[in-house]
This record gives sequence, structure tokens and C-alpha cells, in this order.
Amino acid sequence: MGTNSEKHQQWLEQLTEQSKAKQQKFMNNISSRLGHPRMTEAPQHPFRGAPDFWSEKNWTTEQCVEQFTVNFLSVGGHVQRCNDMDQVADFIASKAKEMNPSHIVRQDEQELEALSLENLIPDATVKVWNSEAETLWKSEAAQADFGIVYADHAVAYTGSVVVKSAKEKGRSVSLLPTVLFIVIPASRMVTRLGEVLITLDEAGRENLPAGIHFISGPSRSSDIENDLTIGVHGPGVVYALIVD
Amino acid sequence: MKVSLFITCLSDALFPRVGEAMARLLARYGVELQFPTAQTCCGQPAFNSGYWKQARESAITILDAFEDSDFVIAPSGSCTGMIHHYPKLFENDPVYLERAERLRAKSYEFTQFLVNVLGVTNVGATFSHKVTYHPSCHGTRILGVKQEPLLLMQHVEGLELVPLPFAEDCCGFGGTFAIKMGDISGAMVTEKADHVIESEAEVLVGLDLACLMNIAGNLMYRGENVRVMHLAELLYEGVVAGESTHIKA
Amino acid sequence: MSQPTSKLNTVKERAELALNDEFLRKAVKFTTERLRNGKKAAAEEHGNWDDWRERGRQIRLHTIAHLDYYLNTFVENARANGVHIHFADTAAEAVQITLDIAKQVEAKSVVKSKSMVSEELHLNTALESIDVETIETDLGEYIIQLAHETPSHIVIPAIHKNRYQIADLLSKEAGYTLEPDTTVLAGFVRKKLREKFLEADIGMTGCNFAIAETGSMVLFENEGNARMVTTLPKTQITLMGMERIIPSWADLEVMATLLPRSATGQKLTMYMSGITGPKRQEDGDGPEEMHIIIVDNGRSLQLGDPEFQELLNCIRCGACLNACPVYRHIGGHAYGGTYSGPIGAVLTPSLKSNVAEWDDIANASSLCGACYEACPVKIPLHDMLVYLRRRKVEAGHGNKLESIGMQGFATVMGNSGRFGSVLRLGKLGQKLVVRNGVIKTKLGPLKSWNKYRVTSSLPKESFRDRWDQLEREFTSQPPVMTEEMKQRLERIAVEQQQSVKKGGQHNGH
Repeated sequence: MGTNSEKHQQWLEQLTEQSKAKQQKFMNNISSRLGHPRMTEAPQHPFRGAPDFWSEKNWTTEQCVEQFTVNFLSVGGHVQRCNDMDQVADFIASKAKEMNPSHIVRQDEQELEALSLENLIPDATVKVWNSEAETLWKSEAAQADFGIVYADHAVAYTGSVVVKSAKEKGRSVSLLPTVLFIVIPASRMVTRLGEVLITLDEAGRENLPAGIHFISGPSRSSDIENDLTIGVHGPGVVYALIVD
Repeated sequence: MKVSLFITCLSDALFPRVGEAMARLLARYGVELQFPTAQTCCGQPAFNSGYWKQARESAITILDAFEDSDFVIAPSGSCTGMIHHYPKLFENDPVYLERAERLRAKSYEFTQFLVNVLGVTNVGATFSHKVTYHPSCHGTRILGVKQEPLLLMQHVEGLELVPLPFAEDCCGFGGTFAIKMGDISGAMVTEKADHVIESEAEVLVGLDLACLMNIAGNLMYRGENVRVMHLAELLYEGVVAGESTHIKA
Repeated sequence: MSQPTSKLNTVKERAELALNDEFLRKAVKFTTERLRNGKKAAAEEHGNWDDWRERGRQIRLHTIAHLDYYLNTFVENARANGVHIHFADTAAEAVQITLDIAKQVEAKSVVKSKSMVSEELHLNTALESIDVETIETDLGEYIIQLAHETPSHIVIPAIHKNRYQIADLLSKEAGYTLEPDTTVLAGFVRKKLREKFLEADIGMTGCNFAIAETGSMVLFENEGNARMVTTLPKTQITLMGMERIIPSWADLEVMATLLPRSATGQKLTMYMSGITGPKRQEDGDGPEEMHIIIVDNGRSLQLGDPEFQELLNCIRCGACLNACPVYRHIGGHAYGGTYSGPIGAVLTPSLKSNVAEWDDIANASSLCGACYEACPVKIPLHDMLVYLRRRKVEAGHGNKLESIGMQGFATVMGNSGRFGSVLRLGKLGQKLVVRNGVIKTKLGPLKSWNKYRVTSSLPKESFRDRWDQLEREFTSQPPVMTEEMKQRLERIAVEQQQSVKKGGQHNGH
């Protein structure tokens, strides 16, 4: 295929050369129009981030869970509070009884392994993301009826969960299956979006994953005569399982 | 204190009773009024259409007329709003720019002056009618006139203020817009008049003659019986009625 | 029934068509009201909306004022992440770069998520011309693509289509009849596009925001298609307007607070994705190769222009469309360009720097200021429309009749004596057209006016005629001003003078 050949790499390198040459002209045009010499140091940014008063908004874990629930339910998501991972497993199993999934895919994380889904839902094929070399993982996820992920963060004010991509955590797992289960440890829940965003600034460029996804409910659209429909491309049924 | 009346070309030419009502209301408080006759028009029609040279010619009559005033009062949010644009209009002329800035600082729309400067919210009027209020765009958005007319109407005896659906929507006048884009303007004023009728008010009141003239024109065209008044007229009529009632008692 | 308006040349002509399209008007009205109310409710619920708007404005102003720094920083960081960066001065260049990449990777199909920039470039036609199947995947965009039309709203592109028309379009695509039911129609699209997502060679996106400090890009969406096109195909191409930058993730919080609420009244879109480079080697999905094409196409023309630089603050939320009374009556196609509504009325002429041709649009506004009030980053669009009009006049392209009229205006209004004379003449002249105290004639300039209105006649006496008498009345037995009021006046007069020295505004907001 075109993209792996040496020729292709050469072409990309050529493009980079061209791009770097063009870059100077492009930036110089900007600075000259703005009426200042090219800036080499970061300018003072006195209005960085949210207004000051916003940082005073801090809820307790209980309040966070409450608000998260209100928000998530209001957009058609489902929320289930669980005392521990056993209850999480039971819940998923009960949904499996209702919906009869034949394919399930989960992220390759310890916490999810502990659910023992293979035993709980013997009628379904349970696949663990990226755990085998030969498998076409995107297709697996596309076939899956259930997708199960473990949240990296959750934000109460916006009713969002955050999942980050990694070798063991495919973006497809939270995107392609019909039904999505997101397990959220209550301790990872914060009040404001900014509390998560600032960790990304602090982590620095090299430490960011390729995909950071904030999910705030099921996929939706009102493009047809303003009539709301759920489950357009992404999962239409989403369960947020909040675990203490 | 020199308190000058900026009557506006619309009131001067078409609705002098509005300017007169405003003057009479202010005079009751012992305000010493002046009417510098050099004034013609704030220049907005030319300004909005991009003819700034011509706008300046008109605006200069305003700058001249009110050079020595301490306060300049107009029965119009859009004309007062236009004065707020004078520093931009004259930005390339330092002498006029300075005069423009001084004028801006002392110019007020009528209800702003009454409520915020004179400190009056109850003019002692009686007006027992169902009234709905159209908040003109420039007054609300450029000058920030929101509470003042409402406060004044709250204290009018017998006045029942009913909400105007989609009140903040533009009536469609927009100056030359009404001529240049006549059909769009027509659609907008028709919708506005629909809402006025929907409110079931007997009287439509507002702060801007351009809007009122526009909406009244459409209502009349449709044979509707809603009385259209400027707030100054309403208050003055209410004051006279209040005084007569009082004397009777 | 929506007809192609591209054949008509002026806003006025297109507007007329729109005004006569009952369905369109109802649909646009319903949509804009829903979105407007949603925004109001969301903003109120959040609270301190004006503080957030001011913050958003400051962040954008700051970024644009230092665009060379932030854009350069973004480019360096993005390259370090493994992204291939391209610069396109013009639309044609951007198209060429896209075609080159498509050819190089031997692409047969491209799946696209929403990108107004790609509309600007007319990219789809270009790709089709080299036999690359190009599929819009946003539900509304997919529908209008099938209809061979352009979007009529920035956020909800197909509001001018009813469910029957949509059912027809999709049924043709399906090869069997689909019911005009939203769930059925959306279900078909989900299935159909699923296949396309999985087979496509290239995924194309726009860019809501680019984070300078980490070289990341952020996408806001509700359907999931932007995630699809950035997760499944091997190659990703992102089109980014050069001004779509913010310094940091912390700043993103402000944008994420303003944008969804302003666009649709949501707290946050269902998906907000931060993409930092192509897939890591060990990842199981994500693009292997990622390109970002930074597009100028007239944007840099606004830099250094004190009247238009703020235009680049725009975050493409569409709130101005929803607030605009003119848009509500004529819909998006009447504006004739890629962007419609108030932002379109200013952007199109500004990007093209061709005021004469596009000024038609700048006239489709009553300057009510609702757009400015609605804008989450406080762009003074209503002022910019006047500047465009002024530039057209100064460039000598003013309408001839109007120019004559305005000269007449200046002559009369430049002198109060002349003004008085004209009033007297008018009172005489109107006798020709006044009947029963009103004027209904539809001659000359009164033609448009009296199509919808009845005009009152000029009164017998103007105010200036009345003044002498009024003054006599007032000075004969003047009431005495209370001491309290006198002091108020004096105090405020002093404050006014001081405010001028300080250069501040007063009595406004």
C-alpha cells in the first residue's frame, strides 16, 4: 500500500521541507500585519483560563455524583450507583440478560478484567482490546454489542466522563459498540471541567495520548426537522456506572 | 444648569407633540430648558448607510447646537445612540473628536435622564389602559436602557403592562433598510405588529419614534385599532389626567 | 420547496424567494427560536454569563493579537507530535494540498466530518474530480450533500428540508422506500455510514480549536462522526482556519463553556475530543498519518485592521444567526455565500476583500445589534456592517441614486435654516398625496414603505415652530426645582466632565 513505502516517506519528508520554508513567510506575514516583530517569547496572558470566581466552585464527592447523575440523565444517559465492582459486574450481567449481546469488547485494564465477563456472560464472545496481534480490532469493536471502558476522569458540572487512548485502551471501544458501559470510580470525579483540563497542561505535550475523549451522553442529532434522535453514529445507549 | 432639548428630526418634523410632551414633563420639575435651533438631525441615516462625510455635515449641527449645554436630552434611544458613535465618526479630526467626546458624556435618552439624573420614577400620572412596551434595539443594546421605562410605567396609576411576545426582536425599520430591503423589513414589521395584536394591549408604547412610526404604519395599514404612543406622550397625558382627577377630588 | 438560489445574483432577489417559501420560513423560525431559547436558558442557568463572555473575548483577542507566536508554537508542537503541517494562503492551495495527499495515499474514499472551511474551499467537487468518493457524515451535511445543496445554517445545515424531502433523498440512496420518520431515517444513515467509516482511506475534519502549547486539536460534536473519521481511517486530514487557536487547555474551559451553550443551549456537546498527533505506534486504532492544513484564504487580511481584526475572534457558534431577525425571515441561502447570518454578512466581504460585489449582504441588516448581544465573544458585528458600507461608498461603489439622496440629505441637514425651509415645503408638497390625513401612495421612495404601511401626513406645526410659545409658557410661571434635584444635576455634571478626561464611557453599560 502507498503509505508504507520508502517513496512515501520521501514524499512526506519533502512536504516537511516545503512546509518549514513556507512557515517563515506565513508567520512573518502575520507579525508584519500585526505591526510587531516576530515574537520569540510567550506573551503575558493575564486572562488565562476561567474567570477567577469559578475556581471557588467545589463540590463534595457526594454532590459531584448527584450533579453528574442529574446531567447525564437529562441527555438520555443512564446512571447506576454501585458499591463495588461486584455490583458493577452484576449490573452488566443483568443488562446482558435483557439485551442478549453476542459480542462484547472491553479495554485491556485490570479493573475490567476483574469483572470476569467471560464467566458472567457465557453466551457472548468477550474480546479484550488489542490483546492479540492478528485480530482486526476496529472490526471487532464495530461488531460489538457492548463496549466496556474504565473512565480516566469524570466531571460533575458538565456530566462528562473522560477516556484516554493507549495501547490497552482503544478509542473504538467507547465509540463503535451499540451499548456503552463506562465504569467510573467516584474518587476520579471532579467538579469543574477545568480541573481535568489543567492536568493536560501540566502533563505537557509529550505525555498526552493521541485521543482524549470527553463523553457527555449518548450520540444524538436534531438535524431532521429539529426532531431529536438518539444513537446516530456513536452508542445510543450509555450506562455510567459510578463505583465507590 | 443648561438642559438642552435634542428634539430629533423625526419629532421636529413629524411628531412635535412628543417633543412637546417631553419638554412639558421636564419643565414641571423646574428644569430650565433650552432648544438650540441650530440642531437638525443626528446624521444616523447617512452614517448607517456608510455616507460618513454627509453624516458629519449633519452631526456638526448637533455638536454646534449643544456645545455649551450641560445636559442634552432626546426622546430617542437611537439618536442618543448615534451621539455615542460621534467619537468614531470624527476619529480622524482631533478638534471635533474632543467635542464629540464631551457631547457624548452629557447626552441622555429621555427616560435615562428622568430616572438616573433627575431621580424621578413616579411622575404622578394616571393612565388606566392595557399597555404593551416595545424596547427599541438601539436604546436597549447600545445605551443599555432597560429598567428606566419599566420603572416609570410601574408607577403610573391604573396602567396594566402586558408582555409583548418576542419584545426584543427588531421592528424592521433600520433606516434606509426599510427602503432598500423593503420586503424583509415588511416581513419584520408585520411580525412585530402580529405580536402587538397578540398581546391584546390597547396601547403600544415605546421610546423611539422611528420604531413607533414603523409599527403604527403597519397596524394602520391592517386596520388595527391599537393606539401607538411615545412614553413621553403617555406620561404627560397621564400627568394631566392625574392633575384633573386630583383637582376634582 | 427549496430551489437552488445560486442562479440569483443579489441578496434582495434571493431574499424574495425565501420570503415566499412558507415552509422555509416556518422551519427557520422554529429552529432559530428553539436554539435561541436554549441558549438563553443555558446561559441563565450557568450564571455570570457576561463575565464569561468577557473572558472569552479577552482570550481570543489576546491570541489573535499574538497570532504569530501562538500559531508558530502550535506548528512546532504539532510537528513534534508527528503531525504533517501545511500552509495554504488561498483556497486553491488548500484544495491542491488535499488532492496531492489523496493521490499519494491512493485514496478511493474520504469520509468528512463537519468543516465550514471545507465548504469555503468547495473541496468535495475537487475530490470528486479525481474520482475520490467524498462522503459527508454529519447527518445534516449528508442530507444536503445528497441534495447537491449548500448548508443554510452553520450548526444545523439542513433546516430548510422537511422530513418528506429527506425521506425521498435517503430512499433513493437506499434503493428502497424509507418512512418519513426521524428514527427510521437516522437508523438508515447510521448503518450506511458505518460501512463508509470502516472502509474509508481518509478521514477529514475541521478544527474547532487548536491548543498552541501542546499542538493538539479539539473537536466538538454530538453525533460521533468526528470521532469516527479520526479513529478509523489510516490517514487524517484536518482543515484549520489559521485563527482557530487558543493558548492552553485551561483556556479551553472558557470556550467549552461558551460554545455549546451559544450554539444549541447544551452544557457540553456529547463528544469533545482532544487529538494530539497520529496514533502512537502501540495504539490499536487512530490514524497512522495525520495532516493539518492551515488555511488563510483572506483571514490574515483582517490582521492589523482595527475595524475588522476582532472578526477573527469568531468561534463559529451560530448564535448570531439564531438572534438575527433578518436571518429568521430569509434563511441562510439568501446570503449567497458559505457563511450566512450576521457573521456571514461580514465574513464573506471581508475574506474576499471585495466590498463592492458583496456589499449587497451588508445591506441585509437593520443594525439592531442582536448579533452583538448574542455573540459569546462580543464581536461588534453590527458596527462592522456599517464599516463595510462605508468602505463601499469610499471606494466609489455607492449606489448612484442613494449617493444623490445622501448628498441631498447633507445639504438640507447641514443647515438648520434649510431644514426649516424644507419642512415648510414638505407641508405644501404633501397636499398632493395626503388623503384623509394619511399618505398611501406607492410612488418613488414610498413604494417599499407603503407596501406594508400607511404614512401619516406632516403636522401643521413643527416643534421648532412651537418652541417660542412653549418657552414663553415655561418661563412665565416656572416651578422651582427641589434642592435635592439641583444637587444631583450639579454632581452628575461634574462626573460627566471627569469621565471625559478619563476617557471612559458613561450612562451606557
